[in-house]
Amino acid sequence: MNDSEQLVQRFLDQELSAEERVRFISRLGRDEALRQRTLELEQLLLGVDQLPRPVVPDDFVARVMQRTASPQAAAPKPATSWRSLADALWTPRTFRWNLASAGATVCLALLVLGTVVIERSTPAPGRPATSPAPVAATVLVRLVVLQPNARTVQVAGDFNGWSPERTALEQISGGAWAVTIPLKPGRYEYMFVVDGKEWIADPFATEQNDDGFGSRNAVLDVRAAVGAQL
Amino acid sequence: MLVSRHARTILSVTTRMLGPAADAEDVAQETFVAAYKALPGFHLDSKFSTWLYRIAVNKCTDALRARRPDAISLDAEGDESEAAFETADEETPHWELEQAELAWELDSAIQALPHVYRESFVLRHIEGLGYDEMSAILGVHRDTLKMRVYKARGLLCQSLAHLNI
Repeated sequence: MNDSEQLVQRFLDQELSAEERVRFISRLGRDEALRQRTLELEQLLLGVDQLPRPVVPDDFVARVMQRTASPQAAAPKPATSWRSLADALWTPRTFRWNLASAGATVCLALLVLGTVVIERSTPAPGRPATSPAPVAATVLVRLVVLQPNARTVQVAGDFNGWSPERTALEQISGGAWAVTIPLKPGRYEYMFVVDGKEWIADPFATEQNDDGFGSRNAVLDVRAAVGAQL
Repeated sequence: MLVSRHARTILSVTTRMLGPAADAEDVAQETFVAAYKALPGFHLDSKFSTWLYRIAVNKCTDALRARRPDAISLDAEGDESEAAFETADEETPHWELEQAELAWELDSAIQALPHVYRESFVLRHIEGLGYDEMSAILGVHRDTLKMRVYKARGLLCQSLAHLNI
């Protein structure tokens, strides 16, 4: 591979230093062949980037579970109690927080509890005013996490098919990110996704579940709300 | 839950490595089954996704080795077990047809790459992984992987030159 070709490839991999990049771009203005080559490769990568992703069939997870439950699939060896204790003590966690952010996150967790909005349905026509309002169909849940250095924060869980791209959080003040999600009563497991790559547990979820693969999902228990009697 | 979370990624890898055929889905399932069996051996010395990618790539390699050369079809149109793909949000049928044809040409060209170039290209440009993570997955030095990716890019440009892309 000659120098020009290697330069183009490094440019595509964003491995040129700032100075090298300036020199490369200047050279593009003078070197027609280099320009054409760069454009050709950029267009190729654009096409690859636009390739559609395969859709996961609806029964994919069920079929995997079926196969793991079959007699041929060996069950993982049960952990000894010492092993479980060691794992609990030494398994690295992926959440990052210090004393200051822990304090801030506690405040935010209280804010979350305080800002769950309960939808109240109005009584049906003709119903006596003294009768209780029907149980709310959905509950608005506000999820908040502190990630001051993040560029993007999303949430993935049972409520959105574990697709983080469906639910992005918005940055609010003080490095906090938040989203309000309408959920039907039930139990939902979820994780936050930082910068599209790092999956973190919600450190202040009141309940967490070991998913059997080394990660912990936060559990959200959404209760139906009953309207107050008038 | 982890199957749901990683299903799309692993299916993407197996589909691009093996083609949009039924065995891509089968190999994706086998990846998760193998991960489940190997779980006691996973000691958090790498990211879970890296470990899962490694299993998927190995499963794809095994599947490719098991195929007879004349059984490998580049003709996705004739394959009744085509994978379903997401469709773009554009408006006109003509545009959709153009994009579908381009995607098919590109997919076919990726399928035609030699195996080691294809796996490096898929991990780098379809999965968007960095060379360090690719090195951890494939057990190959990053400089070697770079050369494989560079070579793959060049071969794809050559095979797609007739499309003026």
